[in-house]
Amino acid sequence: MLKTKKIKQNAPVVPVLIWIGFLVGVPLIYVLALSFLSRDHLGNVVLEFTLDNYKRVVDPVYLKVFYSSFLLAALTGLITLLIGYPVAYFTANLESKKRSLAIILIILPFWISSLLRTYGWIILLGNTGLINNMLLKLNIIQQPLNMMYHFGTVLVGTTYMLIPFMIIAVFNSVGKLDRSLLEASYDLGASKWKTFFNITLPLTVPGIAGGFTLVFIPSLGMYFISDLLGGGMTIFLGNVINTQATRGRNKPLAAAFSVGMIVLVLIVLFIYSRVIRDKKEGLFL
Amino acid sequence: MNTKPKRFRIFYLSLFFVILYIPVLSVILYSFNQSPSTAQWTGFTMDWYKDLFQDRVIVEAFKISILVAVSTSILSAILGTAAAIGTLNVTKRMEKTINGVMILPLLVPEVALGVSLLLFFTALKLPFGYLTLVLSHSLFCVPYVYIMVQLRLKEIDKSIIEAAKDLGAAKWQIIKTIILPLIMPSILTASLLAVAISLDDVVISTYMAGPTSTTLPVHVFSMMRVGVTPKINALCTLILVGTFVIVGFSQFISKKSNQKESI
Amino acid sequence: MQAPLLQLRTINKYYGRSHILKDISFDIMDGEFLTLLGPSGCGKTTILRCIAGLEDINSGDILLKGRSIKDLAPNKRNVNTVFQNYALFPHLNVYDNVAYGPRVKKSMSEKELRKRVADVMELVQMSGYEERMPHQLSGGQRQRIAIARALINEPDILLLDEPLGALDLKLRKYMQTELAQLQKQTKTTFVYVTHDQEEALNMSDRIVVISEGELQQMGSPREIYNTPANLFVADFIGDRNIKKVQLLEKNQEYCKVMLGRSIIDIKCSECVEGPYSTGETTILAIHMDKMRISCDEIPNSLSGEVRLIHYAGSQIRTEVDVDGEIITVVEYQRNNCDYEIGDKVSVSWEESGAVLLPMEEDAGESNA
Repeated sequence: MLKTKKIKQNAPVVPVLIWIGFLVGVPLIYVLALSFLSRDHLGNVVLEFTLDNYKRVVDPVYLKVFYSSFLLAALTGLITLLIGYPVAYFTANLESKKRSLAIILIILPFWISSLLRTYGWIILLGNTGLINNMLLKLNIIQQPLNMMYHFGTVLVGTTYMLIPFMIIAVFNSVGKLDRSLLEASYDLGASKWKTFFNITLPLTVPGIAGGFTLVFIPSLGMYFISDLLGGGMTIFLGNVINTQATRGRNKPLAAAFSVGMIVLVLIVLFIYSRVIRDKKEGLFL
Repeated sequence: MNTKPKRFRIFYLSLFFVILYIPVLSVILYSFNQSPSTAQWTGFTMDWYKDLFQDRVIVEAFKISILVAVSTSILSAILGTAAAIGTLNVTKRMEKTINGVMILPLLVPEVALGVSLLLFFTALKLPFGYLTLVLSHSLFCVPYVYIMVQLRLKEIDKSIIEAAKDLGAAKWQIIKTIILPLIMPSILTASLLAVAISLDDVVISTYMAGPTSTTLPVHVFSMMRVGVTPKINALCTLILVGTFVIVGFSQFISKKSNQKESI
Repeated sequence: MQAPLLQLRTINKYYGRSHILKDISFDIMDGEFLTLLGPSGCGKTTILRCIAGLEDINSGDILLKGRSIKDLAPNKRNVNTVFQNYALFPHLNVYDNVAYGPRVKKSMSEKELRKRVADVMELVQMSGYEERMPHQLSGGQRQRIAIARALINEPDILLLDEPLGALDLKLRKYMQTELAQLQKQTKTTFVYVTHDQEEALNMSDRIVVISEGELQQMGSPREIYNTPANLFVADFIGDRNIKKVQLLEKNQEYCKVMLGRSIIDIKCSECVEGPYSTGETTILAIHMDKMRISCDEIPNSLSGEVRLIHYAGSQIRTEVDVDGEIITVVEYQRNNCDYEIGDKVSVSWEESGAVLLPMEEDAGESNA
């Protein structure tokens, strides 16, 4: 009797679960299956088990792609943390009116097209871009600086795109800090820096971990940034998957890379869940 | 308090916000530049905007984008709200499962999600275009609606629901007369945000668009690949204004409904 | 005798492992004002919610007019609740709030409904407020609307869950009278939950005292006030001096007990019938405000030394040290005696103000 009651209780949400399961779960399983299949000489997928795709994934050439993607995501996480933490911390300590303004300014970019924001950097950093113009006019340089199409340019793009996530995550964490703890620490004679490193920083670890996760995952996949700002000079996972799935017509290989990317995400999520274990915080709620 | 650190804070924050907005402002500014190059400012013009409206590809892409965004928003509003209301009565364990599943589309990197959908829909032989765009966009819009509506539902005083039950209302009557009116502002806000999110999506749309139906961002992306032209600036500026109007409107709705409820 | 309107039969309720209601049984008569009184967390609100159907019971039965309603959903029980926070629907105006019940039950036409709403609005003296939204009303007004919204359904029983709790003291006193009047006027059975003994004593026909999920005593306000059934009720209702005494002698009319070194008589008809025998320790409980201080020696009194005099508004609270035991006396005026701190005085009491109660294990706690 208890069981039927439970089933009845849970019934209304089943359609939505199926909906999402159908659109996320099934395609992912399909991709996983596809990554073990081979293709004929025309590029069509054949039902034949193979590990070739994964062999190619661990090929040194492609391993380098994994490495640069990982490096890009990790560096993006680190830099957004270094720049964003003070922003979040200072914002949390502002008086309420200024704080609301700062929060609006931090959140607003979410609603600005990511293409526009990437394009903004092309306008700034391009050879005929604003920064070069200015430097030339001021006679600081004679030749335009070549700032586009580097690994660093892509890093600027991903950092710029994702830093609001980091700030919001840290901000929420700082906001939850118990003020009396900080006061107690000052009271016990600890200096500001000591208090920060002994109390504030450890207590905001969940926020940092959450922010890092929220930054790391998307930066793996924002291939339009590396396309527009990197110009294909450094190849990232997103670009490989994109090319193989569309122009390269090697679907099983694209699938294998997607699986690789998702594994990378799972590893990060696993580390995140370890870090915040026993701390009552969620990634989104 | 000591003013030195305070001044440093203000300086740091100001600098950060300036850098955060310079790229955006430059895009807007140079959409009014007469010269097609950013090398110099030659004077104010609206020509690039006029150009846009004569570009039939852009107008067509815009129409598709709006159609997709509105359909996505309606679909997501229905599914997300149903899920959120459904979650009111489920077991704790089920709620956890749903929350986990809801976050899934937001956790998988967009490229991986896009490609897997591409491969999957190809296998299903679905025609790429409007249908696949709406299906895929709803995937990442439903969770937003769900999360926002659920937050509002949790705010509703439980005794209000009990009062309705106590006064003789059946389950569907409670949903119709009490719950839906109370969460309507959140549903509207969330649907408007869904419109904005759908209008902004590039990555997944790239894979979902059909040969004759490209969304605006996908088209903008291909324009950007070719090179810099103030026409792109003008288009981006228009999209920005459009999004802000939608988001501003949704904020207005949620603020107004908050004011009404001071009990 | 008339059959009870509602019968609770050995109701038990658990939340997980904690036993919230323990074998609760009592009857509610048609047209009476019954109050469930007890400290917060004692289970009184849970009883109310079980009657309303908002909580399931684990065992026992609830009979309304002789028919079991324990498996009926709340919307199928002809019982309505006034919630503690009123729970008005914030998106509906006053008229729609009040009309909600008949509308969802489709029990009358809109025309009929208009008249009914007007009637109940007049009953709660809120005519003219139909178009207001709940957030435009004061606490007292919301409360009246909540009552109107429940009464329009003509429930067999109106359940009120601490409805005055959120109001300020002055309004609370005023609403007490109003509620009692309303109950007489509508002849509706009221089941009223409160932790405020004054409310309970002022308004009720009968009071059910509950503590830790157990029924402690049931009776008229006078019975509850004057003859508590046990130490918990004695301690919870009214301000009493509660002292351990030795029972020396017991006959038909009086019990002779010893407090400190004084030997006093307590009228036995007012004692609880107890199995206590001579030589045992029992509890003496005397209402502080039924005690008097005199400067002269008087028979059957306690003598001691004034320790503290405290003027609290209209009251004078005096602490008297009787052989090391502190007795508190509450008086509203000085009688014939101007005592100061340190003076020797006699403390006497009205016979009806004193009771003897059986000793209980861990007497400091509420019950055994």
